[in-house]
Amino acid sequence: MLSIKNLNVGIAEKQILKDFNLEIKRGEVHAIMGPNGTGKSTLASTLAGKEDYEVLSGEVIFNGKNLLEMSADERAREGVFLAFQYPVEIPGVSTTNFMKAAVNAKRKHHGLEPMDAKDFLKLMKEKLALVEMNKEFTSRSINEGFSGGEKKRNEIFQMAMLEPTLCLLDETDSGLDIDALRIVANGVNQLKSKERSFLVITHYQRLLNYIVPDFVHVMYGGRIVKSGGKELALKLEEQGYDWIKEEVGELAN
Amino acid sequence: MSFTENIEKQFAEVSNSNVVDLRRSAFTAFEKLGIPTSRHEEWKYTNIKTKLNEDISLAPADSQVNAAVKNYIASLPPYAFRIIFLNGVFHPELSIVPDINGLTICSLKDAFTSHSTLVETYFGKLVNYNEEHFAALNTAFVNDGAFIHVQKNVVVKEPIYIQYFFTASDVNAFTQTRNLVIVEESASIELAEDFRNASNIMVQYNHVSEMYIGKNANLDVVKLQLELNNAIGIHTLESQVERDGKFSAATITFASPNTGTGKPLIRNNVTARLVGQNAHADLNGLYFGKENAHIDNHILVDHVAPNCTSNQLYKGVLNGESVGVFNGKIFVKSDAQKTNAFQSSKALLLSNDASINSKPQLEIFADDVKCSHGATVGQLDENALFYLRARGITKFEAVQILTYAFAHEVIDHVHSKPIRQFLCDKLKDELKVNF
Ligand SMILES: Nc1ncnc2c1ncn2[C@@H]1O[C@H](COP(=O)(O)OP(=O)(O)OP(=O)(O)O)[C@@H](O)[C@H]1O
Ligand SMILES: [Mg+2]
Repeated sequence: MLSIKNLNVGIAEKQILKDFNLEIKRGEVHAIMGPNGTGKSTLASTLAGKEDYEVLSGEVIFNGKNLLEMSADERAREGVFLAFQYPVEIPGVSTTNFMKAAVNAKRKHHGLEPMDAKDFLKLMKEKLALVEMNKEFTSRSINEGFSGGEKKRNEIFQMAMLEPTLCLLDETDSGLDIDALRIVANGVNQLKSKERSFLVITHYQRLLNYIVPDFVHVMYGGRIVKSGGKELALKLEEQGYDWIKEEVGELAN
Repeated sequence: MSFTENIEKQFAEVSNSNVVDLRRSAFTAFEKLGIPTSRHEEWKYTNIKTKLNEDISLAPADSQVNAAVKNYIASLPPYAFRIIFLNGVFHPELSIVPDINGLTICSLKDAFTSHSTLVETYFGKLVNYNEEHFAALNTAFVNDGAFIHVQKNVVVKEPIYIQYFFTASDVNAFTQTRNLVIVEESASIELAEDFRNASNIMVQYNHVSEMYIGKNANLDVVKLQLELNNAIGIHTLESQVERDGKFSAATITFASPNTGTGKPLIRNNVTARLVGQNAHADLNGLYFGKENAHIDNHILVDHVAPNCTSNQLYKGVLNGESVGVFNGKIFVKSDAQKTNAFQSSKALLLSNDASINSKPQLEIFADDVKCSHGATVGQLDENALFYLRARGITKFEAVQILTYAFAHEVIDHVHSKPIRQFLCDKLKDELKVNF
């Protein structure tokens, strides 16, 4: 479903991703961990099509199509979803109206008529329940005045509404209290399917107790330096990144 | 014939036998003032002199009801109170004048005789025709307009639409229209001043309103400048608010030329003078400029009495090569202690060739006051755009949605519910936002 080959990405004259490679198959859950500033968000944003990031070389094939040739909105309509590390506040646009526009944009892309008002409300109700979010939130401006945890839940709510096939979760667990973490993880788990793949960026093994990954990758210096199963996350939790850095150092020597 | 000779000849031909002395002194003032050039400080960014026709004709043009007018009237809610003018001439057969105890609505022409005492007391007293070129011209050539008098304690719940249509085909016509609104103590009313170009030529008009808000009275005015297409329109609104009175004026301008030719120009002068304690004024505006439109808003809040509050919120969306001008003055006179005055001007430039000249002007002569102003000019927030696009919304639609959000704030401030709803729909329509 997603194949990233030798991807090099820079921002502001600085190269962040260096010959990055990753293969994600349909229905798999991949976790990416790694120290601050190693390029995890850069990877997620590049995949989502943020134009500030400059792709220097490499290729990304998504469901047989060249992802890098698509605009951000086209990627989303094709099924890529980024749950932002820092969701944006947009005064004056309600979440309901936002989702109406987004759902209908996707439907149009797939040759469908706009959803009728009743069906839309039903869909919203159903997906709100998934993340145990109150209906009130949807009539408020997007993320405006939302607490950190509410913003993250709103991301998962949007993900549920749009039913993407590739879900990129960038630190969706950070800023969540224990209950919210469980709720968000439950939401994600209910969205798991044979057709849907996840790339979960996190700093904490905790999340991976709920969302059990098929693979765990460690990112360092703009590339994946180690991959393993879910036990790798436990080891990182216990031992930190020093041993990884040492290994990488050895490799470099 | 020179411009001056032409004007003098026309003034001599005016058959209006009302307010003769006032008209004469206004004309003398106009002869001194003339039409301002861009050398004049208040007209620096709006070169009206080169836009107006040389051979202006001030006599009321023939007033024809055409299909555009009929269609528009048919689109109104059937019960809506309206007072309709074609080319500045009152048309009672098209109007629906409310029959409410304590409320007088008639043409100004009638009021000169039927309500002469009120007219003598109030007419021409708020405009400063010794300094304001177009107020002088308008006063000298006053012909017709709306007269509205709300008696003490009378609360009118339905908004009244004052509609000025232009249907004439004379390109030299420079129509002078005039409203006089008197809201007595503890009375309340909502008005819309709606200007529409129902012709296919570039129309020219000069409108003046004087509005008196008595003690504890309330007046909400919405100035609708939405369907002007090609027009050169000059609006002057002078208001005076007494103790505990509330005045709000929202000026909504959508200037989009309907052909590639003419260059539309709209100038709004809005003044609120707070002369009694605890008076309040809200002066808001929203303007959309397209192609080569020119939209100029000159606002003045004059805090004369202590303990008054005022808000100004102006937002502009400029496309194409359109030009916006914002000049917001706050005067706080020495007696006006405890004044609370706020001003905000925000402009969104959606094209590289659009521009805005924004100038706040605060003159404060009292020491215990709270005044603030802020002006921003910019583009849409890139992060917000990306967020919308990351959910599949096209760039075009994302721009429309964010522009809608930006503009909607001003419409939220419109008090009259039916007018607010109308504007909300209009904005959605304009921005092709369908939610
Ligand atoms: N706009 C920018 N201009 C300059 N440098 C940037 C910009 N955006 C990101 N960077 C740099 O790119 C590097 C990678 O950032 P990125 O956000 O991808 O890290 P991360 O792995 O997600 O870190 P964290 O765990 O803290 O979220 C950092 O050194 C960061 O400072
Ligand atoms: Mg990050």
